[in-house]
Amino acid sequence: MAKPLSSRLAGSGVTLKARALSFFIDWVVWGYIAYGVMFFLNYYWYTVHVDWWGTLTLPTWGWPLVVLGTLEMAGLCRALGRSLGKRALGLNLVGEHGQRLRRGQRIYRFLLWNITLPIQPILYALRRPLLHERRSSTQLVHSPRAPGVKGKSSLLTQWGIMAVFLCVFTVWLGWLITEINVPVLISRAPTAGRIWSQMVSPDFRYFIEPDPVFALRGLSYSILNLMVVTIFMALLATILGAIFALPVSFAGARNIMGHNALGWAVYAVVRGLFNVFRSIETVLWALVFAVWVGWGTPFAGVLALTVHTIAALGKLYSEQVESIDPGPLEAIVAVGGSRWQVIRYAVLPQVVPSFWAFTLYRWDINVRMSTIIALVGGGGIGDMLFYYKNEGLWRMVGAVVIVIVAVVWSMDYISGRLRERIA
Amino acid sequence: MTEPYLRIEKLTKVYERGQVLALDALSLDVEKREFLVVIGLSGSGKSTLLRCINRLIEPTSGRIMLGSVDLTRLSPERMRKMRRRMGMIFQHFNLIRRAPVITNVLTGRLGYMPGWKAMLGMFSKEDQDRALESLERVGLREKAYVRADELSGGQQQRVGIARALMQEPEILLADEPVSALDPATSHSIMQYLEWMNREREVTVLASLHFLSLARRYGTRIVALKDGQRVFDGPPAEIDNAKFKEIYGEDAEEVEVR
Ligand SMILES: Nc1ncnc2c1ncn2[C@@H]1O[C@H](COP(=O)(O)OP(=O)(O)OP(=O)(O)O)[C@@H](O)[C@H]1O
Ligand SMILES: [Mg+2]
Repeated sequence: MAKPLSSRLAGSGVTLKARALSFFIDWVVWGYIAYGVMFFLNYYWYTVHVDWWGTLTLPTWGWPLVVLGTLEMAGLCRALGRSLGKRALGLNLVGEHGQRLRRGQRIYRFLLWNITLPIQPILYALRRPLLHERRSSTQLVHSPRAPGVKGKSSLLTQWGIMAVFLCVFTVWLGWLITEINVPVLISRAPTAGRIWSQMVSPDFRYFIEPDPVFALRGLSYSILNLMVVTIFMALLATILGAIFALPVSFAGARNIMGHNALGWAVYAVVRGLFNVFRSIETVLWALVFAVWVGWGTPFAGVLALTVHTIAALGKLYSEQVESIDPGPLEAIVAVGGSRWQVIRYAVLPQVVPSFWAFTLYRWDINVRMSTIIALVGGGGIGDMLFYYKNEGLWRMVGAVVIVIVAVVWSMDYISGRLRERIA
Repeated sequence: MTEPYLRIEKLTKVYERGQVLALDALSLDVEKREFLVVIGLSGSGKSTLLRCINRLIEPTSGRIMLGSVDLTRLSPERMRKMRRRMGMIFQHFNLIRRAPVITNVLTGRLGYMPGWKAMLGMFSKEDQDRALESLERVGLREKAYVRADELSGGQQQRVGIARALMQEPEILLADEPVSALDPATSHSIMQYLEWMNREREVTVLASLHFLSLARRYGTRIVALKDGQRVFDGPPAEIDNAKFKEIYGEDAEEVEVR
């Protein structure tokens, strides 16, 4: 074996980043527990004022106390055993030579950790052994499971118990925060039943013939007309989205952009934009475009769907490009091929099948999205749906819903079959 | 004494990730028309050496002189031109799996084609005939329009050879060309390399895992250990003691017949 240079360096193998990240996870866990406890105190006994979005009225000394307390709890748990944060990064605390630790050693480490915390980054930068580790003869190492607990069910380990506890804790807390109210669900069932019973006897009067109500707005809305508009909204958004996303996605793939500064910059910008645009939901885009190009116009809907499609497909495409087999790339580079030739001959043949699959999948989403986008001014069949709903014309609503279900279902079926073909 | 054909001077490669010293100031002269076989344990730096020569991997320091040209200093564009003269054969063949065999062979001409023609896949009649000829040469003429991933390993490697033939290379870099193949197929592949070396006057640099193959086909053997040269000489000079030095005390020689 070639000699690893790192073996000549002091300090154990776990990077500062990994340590910090795993500690941060533990701290977040304890912060969450502290928040929950304060919420319960307030909810059941009104001793601390806190409401669910987190405004707290504590005495001035309260806040530092909470921060410090959670930090200390996290540190203590990490020293004493397998915490969630250590488990998440596969870290474990062992002796100098990998042996198991005594309880005293662990507590000693925790105390030393408290004292040396400010100088730890400095020691790390200088590549010196960490003081609290050396003095307590302990070290943090990478290991998927703690030694000596092989075969133990993970739910019975310390971190497993913690994970279960957190789940139960969250359900309890969430139940109170989201104001879950089972009696209402039952007592109001008859009202919902009336609506349902009308919807299952739908009124198809305006399936082909336009509803005169909309003629007042100068519109000729029939279910069939609007359904055609809606389907084209989805088709157009998908095709345009794919066409724009395709070239840009290569700029968002690490392996294509290379490892120079410019490559990194382009990659970061493209991926950043994809992520930002994707996390703004289609309905929010529709709000923007409805104001821009006209409320209730299909054009606004197409724009909204397209923008979100570009971002979503772009990210999927980029990730696909990143996961290809690098072998053929190497081969094309080795025969003297240019970057474009590498893309054309080594990348594209590998990614085209999954690009098709993603695009069809996106089409599914766009069909479903386009049926409700009218709620925020995007146009299409939803415009009719929400008008009837507001007027309480439940038989009409039923007709529209049935057509939507039929169209979505058949589009799903078609794209599913196409995907099978390609795979 | 005249200049050697390929001169490697103090070539060093440190992989940033993992901080591994893969090549440690390695110097090596290669004569034209040599069949040089590189051997050594897994991780000794064989692949790194071969990939530094056509700069699939950027060397950390050192020089690689091909004639009077320093390959390590060429701009990416000029290096690309230079790579046309260097064929490469890979352990895992690195074919475009979904494309037909003929397309794979034709990619050997990409370096010689104007950009837009290559993008449209418009290979000249001449190139297409040459591709069929190369396939004929490796005995795969009738598989020309089959998808590459429908071939056996040995057949795929022959496609790799045909692709390299298309480049009309002066140098052939073969990184473990037979490690994924059975002994009989290995010999047939090695014979194609031998043929290129003898008939087409191609300088071959191949890394191999089996000493018996190295002895049989190499005109010269270089052994690496921890990125340094521990043996350099004709195949006959590797005796038992040398073998133990290269592969470690406990190693046993395995024959490939
Ligand atoms: N991309 C890489 N990043 C980091 N280290 C690497 C990389 N590639 C190789 N190495 C390291 O460099 C050293 C030499 O690797 P190399 O692939 O050249 O060995 P090799 O002789 O070809 O081995 P094998 O016979 O297994 O193919 C090894 O220690 C390996 O772990
Ligand atoms: Mg190798």
